[in-house]
Parts: sequence; C-alpha cells; structure tokens
Amino acid sequence: MLSRLWHWRPLRWVFLGAAVVLLITFLVVQRQSIEVSYGRSPTLATLAEVDTSVGLADVTVPTVEEMTALVEADPVVRLPGAIATWDEQRVQEVIGDAEVRILVAPPGLDEDARDRVRAVENATVRVIGTQVSGGIYEALSSTLPEWRAQFATADVTGPLVTLLAALLDTPEPDHDPPLAWRDPTAAELAAVVDDLRDTDVHIAPGATLTEVPAEAAAHAFPGGAKYVVLPRQPAGEPLPHYGPALVAEFPDTPIMVMYGSWIEYHGPQAEDFAELAAVSFYTQLDGRLSRYDYPQENVLHAFLAQVADIRYAGLFDRPLPYEPFDPLRVALPALPWLFAACAGGFLALSVRSWPAHRRRGAWPELRPAGTRALLTGLSALAVEMSLLADQRSNPALARGISALQAARTALDDGLPDSHVRTLLTDARNELDQAARTMGFDFFRPHHYLKDALS
Amino acid sequence: MVAVWVLGGAVLLAAGFVPVFLPRLRARRWRRRVAWSTARAAIASAVISRDAAPCRVPEAEVLLTRAQWLAAHRGGAAAARSAAAYAQRADRLWRDAADA
Repeated sequence: MLSRLWHWRPLRWVFLGAAVVLLITFLVVQRQSIEVSYGRSPTLATLAEVDTSVGLADVTVPTVEEMTALVEADPVVRLPGAIATWDEQRVQEVIGDAEVRILVAPPGLDEDARDRVRAVENATVRVIGTQVSGGIYEALSSTLPEWRAQFATADVTGPLVTLLAALLDTPEPDHDPPLAWRDPTAAELAAVVDDLRDTDVHIAPGATLTEVPAEAAAHAFPGGAKYVVLPRQPAGEPLPHYGPALVAEFPDTPIMVMYGSWIEYHGPQAEDFAELAAVSFYTQLDGRLSRYDYPQENVLHAFLAQVADIRYAGLFDRPLPYEPFDPLRVALPALPWLFAACAGGFLALSVRSWPAHRRRGAWPELRPAGTRALLTGLSALAVEMSLLADQRSNPALARGISALQAARTALDDGLPDSHVRTLLTDARNELDQAARTMGFDFFRPHHYLKDALS
Repeated sequence: MVAVWVLGGAVLLAAGFVPVFLPRLRARRWRRRVAWSTARAAIASAVISRDAAPCRVPEAEVLLTRAQWLAAHRGGAAAARSAAAYAQRADRLWRDAADA
C-alpha cells in the first residue's frame, strides 16, 4: 500500500498547483456580484411624489387670526372642505368636562396653509384631512379596522379618542369595531356585476378615477383582475360588502373593491395576501394619504405597484425567473472543498516522503549487527584483561572500559551507529595500548577478536 | 465556507513547512545528543587520566573544570563540542604527564 502510494508522490505537485489555481479562481470570481433574486419589480409604490401638485386640493384656509377667532367662538370648527367626522358620543365620553377645542381642516392643503393651521394655538386638536394631531402628539391608525374607517369614510374616531386620552391623561376606552359591513342590495350588486362582466371595471358615480392604470395593473395581476371603484362612503353607516358576493360570482379572479382611499382585495389567496398588502401599503403611505387629497387613480396605481412588489418578493407562488445555466456559479460552493482536498492530498503525499528523507539521510536506521558484537567482544576482552592488569596498564584499561560504557549507553539510547563505532574505536585503541603495555600480544584486540569470532 | 479556505491554507502551509522543518529539528536533536555523548565519554576518560597521573597538572585541571561546568549546564551541540574539546585537551595533558 505504502509503496504503491510512493509511486504517486510526484502527483503532490499537481495537487499543489490545483490548490493554487482554485484559490486564484475563487478570489477572482469574488469580484462578480452574485445576485439571487426574483427580478426587480418594475414599478415603485409611490403616490406621485415628484409631482407635488397631485394631491393638493383647490382649497385654502383663512388667516391665523380668523381661525383663532373661530376656534374661540366654537369648540368644534369645521373649515370649508373638511371631510373628517367622528362618533360624537364616544369622543364626548373621553372629553367629559374638559375644555377641548377641535379645528378640522380640509385635506390637500399646501405646506403654507398647513403651517397656518398648526399656528392656531387655542385649538386643542387639529385635524388636517384625516390626520389627527394635538400638542406634541400625532395619532395614527395602526389596525386594519381603524385604517378602513379613516380611508373609506373619513371617520377619525379611533385616532381622535387615542389622542384625547393621551392629552387629557385619561384611560383610553376600549376600541369598538368602528365600521360595520352590510350585504349589498340586489340592485347594487346587479349593476356592479354587469359592469364587471363587460369591462372588468365598475366606476360608481362620484369616484375620482377615470381609468384603471393599465401598466401597473398588468404588473400586479398578469392574469387580469376586476375593479370596483366607489367614492368615499358616508360615515357612521355600514359599508356595502361587495367582496364575498363578487367572489361567488367570479371565482378565481382577483377583485379589488375601492371605497374612497381604502382598497379591499378579494380572490385567490385572499387570507394571506389581502392583509399583507393592506398593512404594508397603509403603513407606508398613511401619512401622505391622510393629509393629501389624492385622486383614487393615484391611490390605486400605488396600491397595484405595492402588489407587484409583493409578488416580485416571491412570497406568493410565482415561478422563478429563468436563469441561464452558469457552471461557475454551480461549482463555486464546491471550490473551497476542492481546495481543502487538494491541500490534504498534498500534505498526505508530503508526509509519506518523510521516512524517505530519513532513509536517504545521514543515519541509517538499520544497525549493522557487527556493532553490538564488537561491543560484546571488546567487553569480554576488557574483563579478561582486568584480571592481569598492572599499575602501568591500568589507566589505559580504565579509559577503554569507560569508552565501552559510553558506547553501550549510546547504543541503548539509539544514537547513530557511526557515533557508537567512534566510541568503540576509542575503546579498542585504549585496550590495544593497554595490551601492548602489558606485553601480551594475544590481548591486542585484533588478535583477540579474530580468535573469539573464529 | 471561509473556515474551509483558512483550514485548507493552513494545511498547505503545514504541508510545506513540516516536511522541511521536522527532519531538521530531528537532526538537530540527534546532533546534540551525539555531541553530549562524545563529551561525556571524553570527560570520563580525562577523569581517569587525571587519577592515573603521577603529578598535578594545573592547566589540565582548569580545562577539565571548564568542561564539567559546561556539562553541568546542559547546553546545545556547540557547548557539548567545546566541552569535549576541553576534556580531550586535558586528557592529552595528563597522559603526557604520565608518559614523561
């Protein structure tokens, strides 16, 4: 196994090269931006912010002094064109005996007129369009029923009660469902259904919309949709609930029912989709919708754009856009692992070469058997000589024995053979000198060892 | 994913450095042990020659003391080689004194 691996050793340079190439490829590819998305939504949910004249009504307000005088005279002042209404009884419950003066201005005022309304200091609460503010507070609707009341009927009871409770430091009463539904009458429904059958659109008298924005509608509902556009509904009365009746009439068709600035979605996936679309739309735009007087056409356009955004976000089952096959993108996640594998292969083949390095090196691991035999022989000679040693030969004999001990220690420690041999040669020379000093020729190592080995 | 690159890079570096430095390290350790083995043998030999010498040789005693001092402090291969050299010179001096 190991020897077979040995033949593959030059391959480690291939591994190294591959690892370097992979690393460079990976680093170079990082410059490409990798975008994984469902495509970009072609429209933008906005209420014509560029053209600021849209949403401004042809109304204005009196001077600050005149308004101050009006507020002084009457606790509730409604300027010409004002639309906001509220449930008198519920508001009165919150006010109690407190001194509260309310100034109601029309929507669609320009910046200058709004500043004048805010400058009326004796008004406790200011309502501009359906935006309720007072003191340092501004009350915003935050639930779907509140939004529905605010934008479908200009009913600001919810925000007004919240604001007054905060200003007067009284506990806020529980919110009643502000708006009730009623079933549309047969005549109402028949008119709507007929229109939808013919043109997909029903525009009731008084609606500020002439045509459904075609492009936005195509992006939002490629399969087509039906639109019912009603003007702002009178406050305090139940709204005609067209949705369920129309869904029964036109199954599997998206249906948008618009009451003033409020848009109801009915149709496929209504449970998930309607709430998401409404919440995201009115959270984003409720500030502008409440202050300005946008035509329903603009509101519908913005809502359709929001729907398109939601669809492009891929939350609802829309097929993925086609993407051409890109081998690099497919291979990209594998590159680090390939790199690691190459590094590991290089390391494995390099590790394999360590023993080889040692084998070629200075100290062969395989010890010639002769070294130990020589040590044994010389030790035996030293023992024999020590019996006959005299004063003159003793030092050389002792040095020889000392060298033999050093050689034995080195041998037991596994030190290189050449070193052991050197120590043994020293010992042999000492013993040779001792034998010559003693005058016994047969004790000279080369004679003795020859005899011992033969 | 970054960890894989870091790991791979570390492995590559290791693959480069370890095969070079490991044998070197090992060779150094062996050289040191061999050198001390030689030095100890030389010192032992010199001590025997000193005991056998008929007279005192102050120069040799200084050299041997130096060698023993070096051995007591367990230095590297260079220290072992100089200790061996001192001991061998001392040994030579005592032998000459004995032969004279």
